[in-house]
Amino acid sequence: MAEVRPDEISAILRRQLTGFESEADIYDVGTVLQVGDGIARIYGLSKVMASELVEFPNDVFGMVLNLEEDSVGCVLFGDSSLVKEGDVVKRTKRVTSLPVGDEMLGRVITPLGVPLDGKGSINTKKFLPIERKALGVIQRQPVKEPIQTGITAVDAMIPIGRGQRELIIGDRQTGKTAVAIDAIINQKYTHSPEAKNLGIKPVYCVYVAIGQKSSTVAQVVAKLEEHGAMDYTTVISASASEPAPLQFIAPYSGATLGEYFRDNGKHALVIYDDLSKQAASYRELSLLLRRPPGREAYPGDVFYLHSRLLERASKLSEELGGGSLTALPIIETQQGDVSAYIPTNVISITDGQIYLESNLFNAGVRPAINVGISVSRVGGNAQIKAMKKVAGSLRTDLAQYRELEAFAKFGSDLDKSTLRTLAKGSRLVELLKQGQYAPVNIERQVVSIYLGTNGYLDSIAVSDVKRFEKEVLEYFEVKHIDIFETIKKEKDLSSQTIDKIKKAAEEFLPAFKKNV
Amino acid sequence: MAEQKVSARYASSLLDSVIQKNLLEAVSNDIELVSSVLKQNPNLNRMLENPVVKPDIKSSVLEEIFKSKINSETMEFMLFVIKKKREEILPSILEKFKELRDIKLGFVNVNVSVASEFSDSQKKELQNKLQNKLKKKVRMNYKVDEKILGGFIVQAGDTVYNASIKHQLDLLKKHFVEGSPITN
Repeated sequence: MAEVRPDEISAILRRQLTGFESEADIYDVGTVLQVGDGIARIYGLSKVMASELVEFPNDVFGMVLNLEEDSVGCVLFGDSSLVKEGDVVKRTKRVTSLPVGDEMLGRVITPLGVPLDGKGSINTKKFLPIERKALGVIQRQPVKEPIQTGITAVDAMIPIGRGQRELIIGDRQTGKTAVAIDAIINQKYTHSPEAKNLGIKPVYCVYVAIGQKSSTVAQVVAKLEEHGAMDYTTVISASASEPAPLQFIAPYSGATLGEYFRDNGKHALVIYDDLSKQAASYRELSLLLRRPPGREAYPGDVFYLHSRLLERASKLSEELGGGSLTALPIIETQQGDVSAYIPTNVISITDGQIYLESNLFNAGVRPAINVGISVSRVGGNAQIKAMKKVAGSLRTDLAQYRELEAFAKFGSDLDKSTLRTLAKGSRLVELLKQGQYAPVNIERQVVSIYLGTNGYLDSIAVSDVKRFEKEVLEYFEVKHIDIFETIKKEKDLSSQTIDKIKKAAEEFLPAFKKNV
Repeated sequence: MAEQKVSARYASSLLDSVIQKNLLEAVSNDIELVSSVLKQNPNLNRMLENPVVKPDIKSSVLEEIFKSKINSETMEFMLFVIKKKREEILPSILEKFKELRDIKLGFVNVNVSVASEFSDSQKKELQNKLQNKLKKKVRMNYKVDEKILGGFIVQAGDTVYNASIKHQLDLLKKHFVEGSPITN
């Protein structure tokens, strides 16, 4: 029988205890003067830094926000009922930071990096402060690679580049989160060996849920898992029941994690869902800290709140590894009012916006993107040539359609060319409709838009457009897979490829019509 | 909060004027005396705080108590405070004065909690160590606290040097339980 010798045990114990025979533990303290509503005022802590993490009794942590002449204002990340007046507060000598690393992928965490998914502790080696200064001009380069969302309307007309900030804005229940989740799911392709051969770098995703129901977050995680997207995604959750300070720092944590990937030459996509709730949390704690209220009772620095966050999105120069951090902030409007304070602020900061409208949503146009007023200011440079070629005419066709849309009710009283524009437009709108969690690859998008803008849909009933698209793409897949391959490889639409598409479509069209 | 600022204002002007007149030592002693009398006689405090009592009466009471025992500068200052209707914060002005004086003279108040009374040689040694470390003159205030089990806790300003057995045990416990993820 194996024997355990007592001296072995004591050796192990001694090893475990090393460092505890150390001499005095030196730390700085202060005392709580006042506490309540998630805010504490502290006397002492004279050497504390702004945004430093401080420790209260009962494992409650706080962050220093106000440094005043004779007191320190602090927000609590835990239950404020556990902190009493007169309690001793300790400095941690560390600004609020997040553990970062590849180990974070596939996990659901709080804004401070504590796992929420019950999959055990996360063994990261590195900490990065959650508030970091955005990079300067020298460290950056223009956006040049595309990030594919898999949503045809977006990839064709509102293209997003790696390192861009594109706002998703709309009322409640218009599918804002759906657009973002589809974008995450579509990044799965970038992690495949095929994408590697084509030189497409993998995109790591961070989804920051701010002030949402925990059940909604759980649903999102389940959907991402179902589509195998959690392997390259981290979800940071500060749900509605968390204290306002945690909701306030959540997007900064997300940006920090994204920056970790970016600074290692990788590509990251961060989704802030949503920033209106973050602004509301910031308003709450600003008012509690007695900062003067301004418009809509937001504090004076609410613009800076979002600008410093979104400015962290960037495309690094080649010397720094060429990594990128793309940001997709989400803003919820009230009754379509984009001229409220927060929406105008964020619109002016971002490089474009995707407008989602509830009347389009209710009319069955899903994703409910209003392509007329949605723009992308820099993504065009990143679009692949093939898409650029077909998207140009798509945009003009749709613009003409919108102009004439009001006349549609006159029906047969219209002249031929107007009727033709209307017919084509309604088919293109139909073509851009797309199911949720069903991202489409870029080569398929190119082919279906080409067919739509070049009159192949005109002879098909509007109600058959979706079926036609599905079947024609299946037909191409089976019979003319080389077309997809060439578009993928060349990233361009050469005249030979166009000829091939034309030929294949003409082969397919009669067969389809026979089946109607 | 506002009270702190006001008392700092009064205290620093008193300090500046007595330094100019070279009376720091004397006025300092007066302030210590007045402050301890106020502490020992809550009734006196209550009278000062009471807005119903007329300022004249407050002045004459203070004069009667202290006139023969303190310098005229200190007396005048207290009467001035009453004239300005700030007598209710007089105790906090006095505290602030002591604090500012200590900073000026390079003194630091050190609170030491010990599990059992230190011997004189131990006290001496600790004082020397602290003076060398802080590069300031220290004034030691000892307090016996059995709850810390052993060792001692020194607090100088906001900095704590914790060498108590209790703290070490707490740290040990945290180490074994693996504590909260933020601290690791």
